[in-house]
Amino acid sequence: MSTENLVKQRANDIGGLEAGPIAMVDHEMLPWEKRCHALLDILDIHKIVNTEEKRRGVEDLGSEMIGKLSYYERWIVSAINVLLEKRVLTPDQLAKKTAEVEARFKS
Amino acid sequence: MAAATQASRPAFRVGDRIRISDRTPVGHYRTPMYVRGKTGHIERVLDLFLDPEAEGYGRNEGAEIRLYRVRFKQRDLWPDYTGGPEDELQIEMYEPWLERA
Amino acid sequence: MSDHDHDHDHEHPGTAKDEALPGYYAILEISVRELLTEAGLITADEHRRQIEILDSRSPALGAKVVARAWVDPAYKARLLADGSAACEELGVTMYDNTRLIVHENTDELHNVVVCTLCSCYPRPVLGLPPDWYKNKQYRARVVKEPRAVLKEFGTVIPEGVEIHVHDSNANMRYLILPQRPAGSEKLTEAELAGLVTRDAMIGVTTVKLPVGASPGGRS
Repeated sequence: MSTENLVKQRANDIGGLEAGPIAMVDHEMLPWEKRCHALLDILDIHKIVNTEEKRRGVEDLGSEMIGKLSYYERWIVSAINVLLEKRVLTPDQLAKKTAEVEARFKS
Repeated sequence: MAAATQASRPAFRVGDRIRISDRTPVGHYRTPMYVRGKTGHIERVLDLFLDPEAEGYGRNEGAEIRLYRVRFKQRDLWPDYTGGPEDELQIEMYEPWLERA
Repeated sequence: MSDHDHDHDHEHPGTAKDEALPGYYAILEISVRELLTEAGLITADEHRRQIEILDSRSPALGAKVVARAWVDPAYKARLLADGSAACEELGVTMYDNTRLIVHENTDELHNVVVCTLCSCYPRPVLGLPPDWYKNKQYRARVVKEPRAVLKEFGTVIPEGVEIHVHDSNANMRYLILPQRPAGSEKLTEAELAGLVTRDAMIGVTTVKLPVGASPGGRS
């Protein structure tokens, strides 16, 4: 079975696909989600991660992660991947910082 | 500069019949599959904007292209469309995706 | 074709615990922000300011624009000719190199907006989009069966009314100018604005007088 369509049609490109009834859902943004949104706005203003890079990064996550991560979870992982690609951050820097932040909250 | 003016003049005008390219690049795009290869008309000529296919990979200037709004009849997009015969789908299209039809 | 059986339609419920012990992604956000701040690339002040800007945006801004267009035909003409400029008159600025286009609903034409590719939305006039706008079902289906989707919102578009679906896939952002409800002639501009919902400005519903309201607007 050809897998070409997985490459040609990106996972966000769903206009016209089959889908079920509209679930009338909404939720008030969690505080971290608002912080995440504001962060991505700032990154775009400074062109550190522009909005189109963020969108492209979300698409690059692939259909499993797109399906399983929530909206803002996709944003932050996309932004991190772009920051790593562009060598603004390194994986090691981020790993050390997340450990430090976790420890701060557990203390 | 004369060269910039030439490149920035719109290739299409309101009312022109156009077809969306059916090419399938690998990588980021803003031209959904459901309009590829379809025929419509220019609804509006818009400004120059940064090509999202470049912007998505970190280009923040110097890749401006013309944007248009295009109108399609829904019956031309969906073989089993059950709405009104004049119902439309309107969408933005960047010039490199447009062919004269 | 892409398979989205597991589309994340339910967001994680918010609890006070979220702030006491941040989850994995919240920790990522804090970490990224602190690293970039330490590197001098962003500041804590601008991040705080951006949160305030997000908090300031809501559908009330769009409702004000709609009500003004309903009572002032000259404003409505300017709004339809140049949505961004007309919103600027009321203190709303578009951003991120986007432009606002306003589509008017009439007896002959009903407009509705979607972003099939992600979640593009006129945030300066409407605030942030609801989850259903960002989820798969709306984005996949409204472009090809708008009448059926609108019906799920309780909106029946009569036969003979043309429907235009606008896919917001690039630099334009769209605001629907709903029809002013019949019987609203005596309402003040502020009262009219109070009738206009976010969903009517997306185009999935229409604006109605509240049930039982007298046409004079005094209940």
